[in-house]
Amino acid sequence: MPRLQTILLVDDERAITENLAPFLERSGFDVQVASDGEQALELLPEVNPDLLVLDVLMPKIDGREVLRRLRSQGNWVPILLLTQVGEAGERAMALEEGADDYLNKPFDPHELVARIRAVLRRARPGKPPLAAAWQLKCGELSLDRRSRRVYLKSDELTLTPKAVALLEYLMTHPDELVSRDRLLDVVWGWDYPVGTRAVDTRIAELRRELGDDAADPRYIETIPGQGYRFAADVEGLE
Amino acid sequence: MIVRWLPIFAPALLGLILAVWYNQSDLANPTFVLRAQISALIALAGFGLSALAAVGLILSDWVERRHIKTLLEAAEERRRFLTRLDHELKNPLTAIFAGLANLNSDVPAEDRKASTASIEAQMKRLRGLVSDLRKLADLETRQLERAPVDLSELLRDNFELLQERIEPASRQISLSIPQAPWPLPQVSGDRDLLFLAVHNLLDNAIKFSSPGDAIELRAYEDGSDVVIEVADTGPGIPESEQAQVWNELYRGEGARGISGSGLGLALVRSIVQRHGGKVTLRSRLGQGTVFALHLPASEVTRR
Repeated sequence: MPRLQTILLVDDERAITENLAPFLERSGFDVQVASDGEQALELLPEVNPDLLVLDVLMPKIDGREVLRRLRSQGNWVPILLLTQVGEAGERAMALEEGADDYLNKPFDPHELVARIRAVLRRARPGKPPLAAAWQLKCGELSLDRRSRRVYLKSDELTLTPKAVALLEYLMTHPDELVSRDRLLDVVWGWDYPVGTRAVDTRIAELRRELGDDAADPRYIETIPGQGYRFAADVEGLE
Repeated sequence: MIVRWLPIFAPALLGLILAVWYNQSDLANPTFVLRAQISALIALAGFGLSALAAVGLILSDWVERRHIKTLLEAAEERRRFLTRLDHELKNPLTAIFAGLANLNSDVPAEDRKASTASIEAQMKRLRGLVSDLRKLADLETRQLERAPVDLSELLRDNFELLQERIEPASRQISLSIPQAPWPLPQVSGDRDLLFLAVHNLLDNAIKFSSPGDAIELRAYEDGSDVVIEVADTGPGIPESEQAQVWNELYRGEGARGISGSGLGLALVRSIVQRHGGKVTLRSRLGQGTVFALHLPASEVTRR
């Protein structure tokens, strides 16, 4: 029997860890719990987890600081941030500072498990995740995350900020099926009624600018009834 | 109060003293008449200054009182909002407590299933409320995307969605967008948000009308504005409630027992105001209601 993958769950809200830990265990993970950032950093060498689920708002050392410290030490253990309600900037920060993914509270625990699996599948042990790269490159297409500019060959594309955010998310999650709901959450940070259309409009905008044919896509593939997938290999540059 | 008003008389008093002193001082030779005129001028200047100061003080008092009034109103609205929020949270929580009490093992499995479903439904209601509160907070701080929005297309999309959502025979729905002599001008803004605003109004029109009622989605130009209207032949809103329906979590008499976060119209108002527009409504009891969004048309597309 293969070794269970270990998750270090860090949240100061006991009501959450008490319910979430057994759920994750039943989903097939070995789960350890830390109640704040300080304890998480202490436990880390001993537990040696395959992934950290890290709450942002915590006493002593908050999730952001834990993330920053680990990354500045060159520790690239996969991290999934649990971000707080209402902070649009926090989501951008999560990816910029090198979290592998994030999930907004309140979330469906099944969604957390799905996200954990996706991050673990994508993880390249000991190496920075694509989410930590400042530049994303895929053949002739490149996205500069600092300046929020997108280039095809050497031409700059004119895209709305939301389309850039969508492309960024798809490129940092290559070869992963991303649901429309998830993409809406990326762009808006809230659930948006009748959102599938809003996402489809933006994807159409992206395809038009990228010169991508929906029937024979080079970059963005439609998975009917489910969502979208970035179908090409992405390289992250510093 | 008196202390604030006293300094106003200083210029007048000073002018008077100077005038009297000037008039009486014994200067060598200039004519008596000239002296009298100068002293009158000095006194007049003093009175003028005093009058100016008095007007200034009255004005600043008025501005201050108005400011205090708006502050008090905001505080009052905030207090009412908290009361409503408290109420809005209590009901689902009570239902969840009751549902949990039914989950004991001595309760038949069938009933436990029903309770679990009910708890889940209440959780979803709470999540919807939190999510809408977040949208409202987010709208106040988020930078607005400014791109040309084709309202005709946006309204058609919304109308299509409306057709998909309701039983075709249940409401008489119609869409009217002007094409002649020129199409509706574009507005500059965030398409997703504007879509949401129209969607919320249509959502309300469905919720507050009954089978057989009519719902109209229409738009027209009004000067430099574009007006989008959603009209229904529902029960109408009493006049006493009309000003309040835009407020967060406000529920009128007719809205009791109707599902929703109570934030739909507040979101509409917030979205429209962020686009530099305003919202209005006209309603008659027993006849129906018209909600209107007035949005400034973008300069480029206006003739």
